[in-house]
Amino acid sequence: MVAAAWICLLLPLAGALLITLLGNVLSRKAAGVLATSSVAGAFVAAAVAFVMMLGDGEHHRSHLSTGFTWLSAGSFQADFSILLDPLSMVMMLVITGVGSLIVLYSIGYMHGDNEERRFFGYMALFVFSMLMLVQGGNLLLLLVGWGLVGLSSYLLIGFWHEKPSAVAAAKKAFIINAIGDATFAIAVIVIIQQTHIVGFDALSALNPDNHGVLNLVALGLLGGAVAKSAQLPLHTWLPDAMEGPTPVSALIHAATMVTAGVYLIARCHTVFESAHQVQNIAAGIGALTIVAAGAIALVQTDIKRVIAYSTMSQIGYMFVGVGVGAYASSMFHLMTHAFFKALLFMGAGIVIHALSGEQDIRQMGGLRKLMPRTYVMMLIASLALIGFPLTSGFFSKDAILAGALASGPYGAALWVLGMIGALLTGVYTSRLFLTVFHGAPGDLVLRQLGPDAHGQGATDGGHGHGEGPRTMLIPVAILTVLALGGGFIQVFDWWTGMQTWLESVVPSLHEPTGWQEAISSIGATLLGLVGVTLGWTVYGSRKDTAPKPSRSLEHKLYFDELYDRIAYAPAAFIARFVTRVVEEPLVIGSGDLVGHVTRGAGEKARLLQNGLVRSYALLIALSFAVMGIVFLAVR
Amino acid sequence: MALWLILLPLGAALAVWLLPLDRLAATGLALAAVLGEIGLWITTLVRFDLDSGKLQFEEQASWFKDLGVTFHLGLWGYSLWLIGMTVLVLGAAIAFGARAGRERPRAYFGLMLFLLAAVVAVFEAQDLLLFYVAWEAMLIPLYFLVGVWGGAGRVAATYKFVVYTIAGSLLMLTSIIVYGLQQGTFDMTLTTGSGSMWLFLGFAAAFAIKAPLFPFHGWLPQAYRESPPEVAAVLSGVVSKTAAYGFLRLGVIEFGGPSLRIRDTVLALAAVGLVYGSIVAFRQPDLRGIIAYSSLAQMSLITMGIFSINLAGFDGAILQMVNHGLISGVMFLLAGLVERRAGTSDVARLGGLARGRPILATALLAAGMIALAVPGSATFGGEFLILTGVFASGWAWTVVGAAAIVLAAMYALRLISAVLHDRKGEAVTDSARDLRLPELAFVLPLLGCLIALSIWPNAVASHSFGKAFERCTPLANVLKLTAEDCP
Repeated sequence: MVAAAWICLLLPLAGALLITLLGNVLSRKAAGVLATSSVAGAFVAAAVAFVMMLGDGEHHRSHLSTGFTWLSAGSFQADFSILLDPLSMVMMLVITGVGSLIVLYSIGYMHGDNEERRFFGYMALFVFSMLMLVQGGNLLLLLVGWGLVGLSSYLLIGFWHEKPSAVAAAKKAFIINAIGDATFAIAVIVIIQQTHIVGFDALSALNPDNHGVLNLVALGLLGGAVAKSAQLPLHTWLPDAMEGPTPVSALIHAATMVTAGVYLIARCHTVFESAHQVQNIAAGIGALTIVAAGAIALVQTDIKRVIAYSTMSQIGYMFVGVGVGAYASSMFHLMTHAFFKALLFMGAGIVIHALSGEQDIRQMGGLRKLMPRTYVMMLIASLALIGFPLTSGFFSKDAILAGALASGPYGAALWVLGMIGALLTGVYTSRLFLTVFHGAPGDLVLRQLGPDAHGQGATDGGHGHGEGPRTMLIPVAILTVLALGGGFIQVFDWWTGMQTWLESVVPSLHEPTGWQEAISSIGATLLGLVGVTLGWTVYGSRKDTAPKPSRSLEHKLYFDELYDRIAYAPAAFIARFVTRVVEEPLVIGSGDLVGHVTRGAGEKARLLQNGLVRSYALLIALSFAVMGIVFLAVR
Repeated sequence: MALWLILLPLGAALAVWLLPLDRLAATGLALAAVLGEIGLWITTLVRFDLDSGKLQFEEQASWFKDLGVTFHLGLWGYSLWLIGMTVLVLGAAIAFGARAGRERPRAYFGLMLFLLAAVVAVFEAQDLLLFYVAWEAMLIPLYFLVGVWGGAGRVAATYKFVVYTIAGSLLMLTSIIVYGLQQGTFDMTLTTGSGSMWLFLGFAAAFAIKAPLFPFHGWLPQAYRESPPEVAAVLSGVVSKTAAYGFLRLGVIEFGGPSLRIRDTVLALAAVGLVYGSIVAFRQPDLRGIIAYSSLAQMSLITMGIFSINLAGFDGAILQMVNHGLISGVMFLLAGLVERRAGTSDVARLGGLARGRPILATALLAAGMIALAVPGSATFGGEFLILTGVFASGWAWTVVGAAAIVLAAMYALRLISAVLHDRKGEAVTDSARDLRLPELAFVLPLLGCLIALSIWPNAVASHSFGKAFERCTPLANVLKLTAEDCP
């Protein structure tokens, strides 16, 4: 089992290395196939490990396998080790499963780009990094994976590096994530200082009475989680990250990397349970993000940015879940969200592709008849997103809400925000769906896909037209099935697949009662449907009379402007000030002064010495003279 | 073995100077000497007992007998790693010089080889006077290499560098003489440590200038800008490490008491330098400027590790010295290669080099990511250990260090993007080619070592002071604390 886990971890790395090292030797197509098969191979390995783990007794499913000592000093030692337990198993299956589908989809999507090899190398590197994150056997390796996913995300957001906006977005993502890395690192250092170990057992070894330390550690970890998962207030990088190719958005910025914060809190749940206020903060941040991101999604006009804000909002639900101790429900929602959100992005990708790169939904419309298959699968993904009964999102979102309700009065307040979020989800999802697929086709759509447009698509490799090649449609079809039926892993408290599976690693704190389940399900579904109706009346039939969006929402609640004022502008000012006022005149200037004086002296010395001996030689001679005098004096 | 590591480059330097060789022969001899030196180092590594924590490969001959001055060489675990880094970086620099076709090749290669011998001697010297001689011997080749082969402002840059350094050296010389006479021996393995703050400050002056530490870095920007790129690589990669080594071996170990007393001041200076260097690096208009100030920041970080005065800090500092030597070396060499292609180091005129130049792009990206210490890299390992070590002296130092991680990301990403990304810069023409095979021959070994260290940073981190005394009483064995320091 452990061997399978190592293979799962290392196969994508091998794929990335091969693609990078072989370079032009590998054909573009072969690079895509190699990346896909390395990730698919990792999935097979993970599945094998999963089946073997099923055979273990319920409390013997945690396996730590150590390779070598990665870093050690003084009293602590961090091994290069992997931890295989039910929690990492879920993540491994999601990452490699959804990952291999998306990499397969990219073969069609990226066809014709002239740097395909680089793309597939980065994708395989990302999958390795993400597996490193979830399989890392101690906090330091978790942090290593944490940083490496940030790196691959940077590389992929900025993949089209001749586009200044893409480069800026990549930098922004990296730097905001670096803030999270820094607080995470501080938390790990505090843990080492307190316990002298870095394994996950250190988390329970922390003194439960030392609240200062516990809160500090929990806050540091939460900082990392918030940055990586794009929660308020460190979320501003995620919408910009949509500059990357769409499969990247599907894999990294929807299905896997952005959910790492949820995994981190679940993995470190003992600390968060001891630092109760911080856990409440996590839940509160999640609830606020649900509403804020849902509201901003209402007015965005870029198809990918709408889905990005929706992702933030859905991760908000997961944060509420881990914040109130409903870990299994959060992991459940993480999984179903990976299915339907990846699907939504892939559908958006097909639409963007068909329209030759257009992402503005105001230019779209009436695609239902022209792209029937895409229409159906986007419909299913949207239904799962709003939590339509029996789709996957229905079971998982409602489980989180019921968990929140069960956790007490604070949880009830979060529950209310979650309900508002359900309403907003209904509105923005129907707005997106209706604007893109219903109504009258716009000029651009007719030009690209209308009856007279035949043959035009051939200009960009034959894939700018229609609904894409089979390599794109097969993964989409599989994800459609999962988005529809993936929720049946856990049905209320009648069949608790996920809950039972995770019970031995992250036991949930509260058990919702039957009526709490019922009221959450019925409430969320009803509000979702109300949202859809609202969206339908506003954006469906009377498109022209849609209300003008609020300015503050259009400005994404002014977060970017705020950070520009309070962070970037002062930092730039300080940098300029320091360079002009301290560095140049004082430090370099004083050096110049010294230089001039001695140069003057040196020139005189040179005159004396017939120009042959430079001042240095003089000084060396002087220093030897001093030495000689001292020696003589001592004798 | 220790002696041969000095004699081989020294002999080669003399041969290049004295024999009437043409350019090709001089180049070939220099490169052969470098390869031989690398082989010699590997042999030493294989025969070294990394776990013992003792001085090995000692060689001793009497020098000034009545003063207790001997010609005493030897290798500690940490000196071994630093010498390995030195040999690699100087080897790469010599190869760069060969590729660039420097004028007056015999003089040039002789000076580079002489510099190699001098730096190795600094790391091997076990006698205070020998250390001083080696220390000063480094300056001679550097003086000529910057002053003769440098850029337009080389003369002013050289003067500034030399004057600053000499000022520090003279103070150190005074301290060495007084300390040696007090102890009755100049042998560093026999000295018993001192509690004198003034002697410590004499040493510290030389190291603070050479490292450099804020605010003693007035010579740095010009020296790193006006030198030929490969000499800048050696200055910031290798020569600065002799100062950090000095802080550790002569500052902290010999003067444990004064170091503990002055610790907070030094940490404060280092913290300021770390943030200050990072901020100024972010504003620099050229590649060399960015790397130069990032070097100031990194040397401050290493100093933090040394002055945390515990094993995590020491191990981290040694690891980071090796890392920074390699990374700063490869960054300056890559900057040099970019300059050769674009004719400028000006950030505003560069850009878009990634398109069609995958090898250059991959090399610079990898180097940049290691430079900004992305988690999982060797530099991250070093930083993490240093920040863990310095935490014991106060959480605030760790917070400053962690903040510097973010600042480092800012200047390193700016550098990467300025060269590789966005639209094509005006200085970039289509004739600018990807890295060629001979260039890869000196870039790849440095990058390869960094990647190997990323996979296994513990190779250096836990084999510097020997496992033996990491496990038992940690600091007492490293620091020569006097009775008054340990009440």
